[in-house]
Amino acid sequence: MTRTVRAYHTLLATLLPAGFNDAFAEELLAVYAEVDRSARGRRGAVGAWLALVAELPGLARIAIRERRTHRTIRAPHATAHLEANMLDALWQDLSFALRGLRRAPMFAFIAVATLALGIGANTAIFSVVNAVLLTPLKLGDPARLVALGERGKNSSPTALNSTSPASFYDWKSSSKALRIAGFSGVSGVLTGHGEPQQLPGTSSIGGLLDVAGVRPYLGRLINESDEDPAAPQVIVLSYDAWQRIFGEDRSVIGTTLDLNGTARTIVGVMPRGFSYPGAPNDFWVPSRFDGTFRANRDQYFIAVIGRLADGATIETARAEMDVIADRLNRDWPKYNRGTRISILPLQETIVSGVRRQLFVLMGAVAFVLLITCANLANLLLARAGARRREIAVRQALGANRRRIVRQLLTESTVLALLGGIGGIIVGKSFLKLLLAAQVTTNLPRAEEITLDGRVMLFAALASVIAGLMFGSAPAWQLSRSSDALRQGTRGSAGGQWMRNVLVVSELALAVILLTGAGLLLQSFSRLSRVDPGVKTEGRITFSLRLRETRPDFAPSAIDQISAVPGVKTVAVASSLPITGRSNGAWFNRIDKPLPEDVVPSGEAYRVVTPAYFDAVGVPLRRGRLLTSADRQEAPAIVINESLAKKYYPNENPLGKLVYLGAPDNRLFNSAPIVGVVGDTRDAGLGSDPLPMVYIPLAVMPKWPALSFVIRTNGNPSSVVSSARSIIRSMVPNTPIQNIRTLEEVVSAATAPARWSATLLGTFAAVAVVMAVLGVFGVLSFLVTQRTRELGIRLALGASTTAVQRLVVARGLAIVALGVGIGLVGAYGLTQFMKTLLYDVTPTDPATFAGVAGVLFVAAGLASYLPARRATRVDPMIALRAE
Amino acid sequence: MPTDPLSTQVFHILLSLVDDDLHGYAIIQDVAERTGGEVKLTASTLYAAIKRLLDAGWIEETTSRRRTSDDPRRRYYRLTAAGRQGARAEAERLERLAALARAKRLIPARR
Repeated sequence: MTRTVRAYHTLLATLLPAGFNDAFAEELLAVYAEVDRSARGRRGAVGAWLALVAELPGLARIAIRERRTHRTIRAPHATAHLEANMLDALWQDLSFALRGLRRAPMFAFIAVATLALGIGANTAIFSVVNAVLLTPLKLGDPARLVALGERGKNSSPTALNSTSPASFYDWKSSSKALRIAGFSGVSGVLTGHGEPQQLPGTSSIGGLLDVAGVRPYLGRLINESDEDPAAPQVIVLSYDAWQRIFGEDRSVIGTTLDLNGTARTIVGVMPRGFSYPGAPNDFWVPSRFDGTFRANRDQYFIAVIGRLADGATIETARAEMDVIADRLNRDWPKYNRGTRISILPLQETIVSGVRRQLFVLMGAVAFVLLITCANLANLLLARAGARRREIAVRQALGANRRRIVRQLLTESTVLALLGGIGGIIVGKSFLKLLLAAQVTTNLPRAEEITLDGRVMLFAALASVIAGLMFGSAPAWQLSRSSDALRQGTRGSAGGQWMRNVLVVSELALAVILLTGAGLLLQSFSRLSRVDPGVKTEGRITFSLRLRETRPDFAPSAIDQISAVPGVKTVAVASSLPITGRSNGAWFNRIDKPLPEDVVPSGEAYRVVTPAYFDAVGVPLRRGRLLTSADRQEAPAIVINESLAKKYYPNENPLGKLVYLGAPDNRLFNSAPIVGVVGDTRDAGLGSDPLPMVYIPLAVMPKWPALSFVIRTNGNPSSVVSSARSIIRSMVPNTPIQNIRTLEEVVSAATAPARWSATLLGTFAAVAVVMAVLGVFGVLSFLVTQRTRELGIRLALGASTTAVQRLVVARGLAIVALGVGIGLVGAYGLTQFMKTLLYDVTPTDPATFAGVAGVLFVAAGLASYLPARRATRVDPMIALRAE
Repeated sequence: MPTDPLSTQVFHILLSLVDDDLHGYAIIQDVAERTGGEVKLTASTLYAAIKRLLDAGWIEETTSRRRTSDDPRRRYYRLTAAGRQGARAEAERLERLAALARAKRLIPARR
């Protein structure tokens, strides 16, 4: 059976009523097979597919008629008759529409293709919006889940900072309105399954999976009793990890797995798609805090969620947590003075950061679709001009107006549906493209993005609404043209009026889009010109996590890698510059202690080896850099300019003694500041430089997560393989991760800005092209309509420039109106983008002027072409044409 | 079956069956041949018509097969008396129309 015959078989089975199929399907299929064979024989595969397409009207006819016959048997006579008439009319409309489109293949192609683009862009962006913002979290009864966090006196009311173990257990045991659990991210090196690999995972604190409310796919969840340090070591795997590592072998439950050198019993597998608190997440392990650590109040790393108890609301929970916060303020003033507890709906906290960005994109694609519709309405109006006589004849022959309008709407609905089918295909590929970008996959819940039923429904609705929108203008206009028989081809002023309105709105929408895109592009270009504070040329980085404390590892690895030809400097840091705040601790001046009841503020720190500053190109401003003499016995630290400005505004920081951490839990006992270095924008290029403390690795030699930075003579990639084999020979079971140049590290910080600018820029470009084509179309039509008038003017001695000016002036008037309205709209709408912009105001005059300029030039050109054509009108021919 | 004018396709199907019982694909070929490819039946339109003609009793399935080697799925159709009457009525209607047109000298008179 050939593919076409199989396709026909499927069509038969799905479209035709069973009654018909029982009697004829087999025979019909046999006949079709012969038709197929003969078509294939004459014109190959193309012929076969054409033959299949030719079958569609016949199939539709059987489908409609046979169903109707079935129904008429049962239905009362009058309704049956009416229904029969309606179905007949529908069938007529449909076949008429298809015939009409077949007669104008170019028109049909342009219409369907532009619609497919418009609907495709909407489908793709909507599938992102749908998964990220609209679908409830894949947790048990997600509406009753909240996120909790600490909030300082001066922080924003939506701040949700991590809390300490002791505070966490205080909250958990005191709350009645909430069942509280927490988590922190962990990573583990899996050994015994091929190459050692580092897996991302989550540590469950206080029964996380239980509160999340999801049943395991296999085995059981981790419960609170597993979190006792004396309990056996257990682990729960994600479905993905189970599939990847064990090939979905169900017998792994109860067996052990080596993670970070510890054998853990696999007790459960979570269902497919569950990756809370965020993908990727391969496993969950119990936290196993000992008694001392449970009482710790100065290590803030626990993210907290809660499930509202029956009868509790978020308000009652807030009231209760307020009481708890007051009590902690009283009982532990040193740690909790002024600390409040925030509660927000969980979904809100996961997606609120990207909501605005996604809404802007959704708005942009909606605009593209609106412009597409306006353009199509214009095309249809032009076509309607040509069909004016045909319609008038039909009206004269007794077709009623309603029927004609319906006919025209059927035609546009058919176009829209074809466009919708194309749109789903375009949307699928567009989504694939989107998901290939790192930024998209970095969106919260990105792993849930798919073209699901809801997205399909959206695409279908978008198509139908689009069809009604672009179809209604010509239908309304045509239905009123009863005098068309007399008028000949000149058309009425009414049509031109409507076309102008459409083009003006296209232009206005294009201006708004282009302004938005312009602002984002400006913002992106300013962002990429920001000095990150580091030098990136010839620097390569990678990271690894030691499985056991090896104070000798870093110095020895640095020595060996330094000996590789082409390497200038090697350094190790707790985390790379520009990748975020990473670690923080209370900053305490020993020379100027704070009053007992004031909680010090936390500052970011990085643990580095002495060569770090040279390796990343951070300049020394005052004092000296770190040396190998700065060790645990005699610690010294370096700070950056921002920190110096914050704590020592009118003093010399050099030589001042400080410590980091809580009084009874210090990172180091006391150390002098020996140097001040340049700022780096670690919190992101769009943020102010972060105050930063640099602590020698020799002072904190047990630091396990190490990032290497290698400065080379030129070609960094050739150095990597040598470095890799050196590391492998030293710590064979430790995977090397994230091999990137420092250039890539820095540009990752601008990636989200580039992503939105590129997307919006693309949409805006499409919009402008369509709007300009719209201007061109309207003026060409105008010239055609006024051929006779222009001919007379020329015959009466009007100069060609005068005629050209006439047409161009009309074009520019339309453009001016469109651009004007658009700028006003943009002024209002870009306010919404304020938080997405860096260093650009939403009303940036340069952008607004530039957008207006671009559209004037483009539309000016578009009106010049028809104007030239107007001057070539031969007066004699123009007059004879009447 | 309606007494209204027949559709072109239905009329041609009836014409094909006037002097021979045919199976489905043979009807498609016969119509294409007779009209020089001007009327092309698709399998679906053919069976849409066959169903209605069967329901109206204008054609019927023959029980005897032509050749024993034939595809067993093939069914042959024969014009019934009613069908023959209907086809004839349509031909006459067309002739009357043509005569009217001739009377108006729209088309040349028959030689």
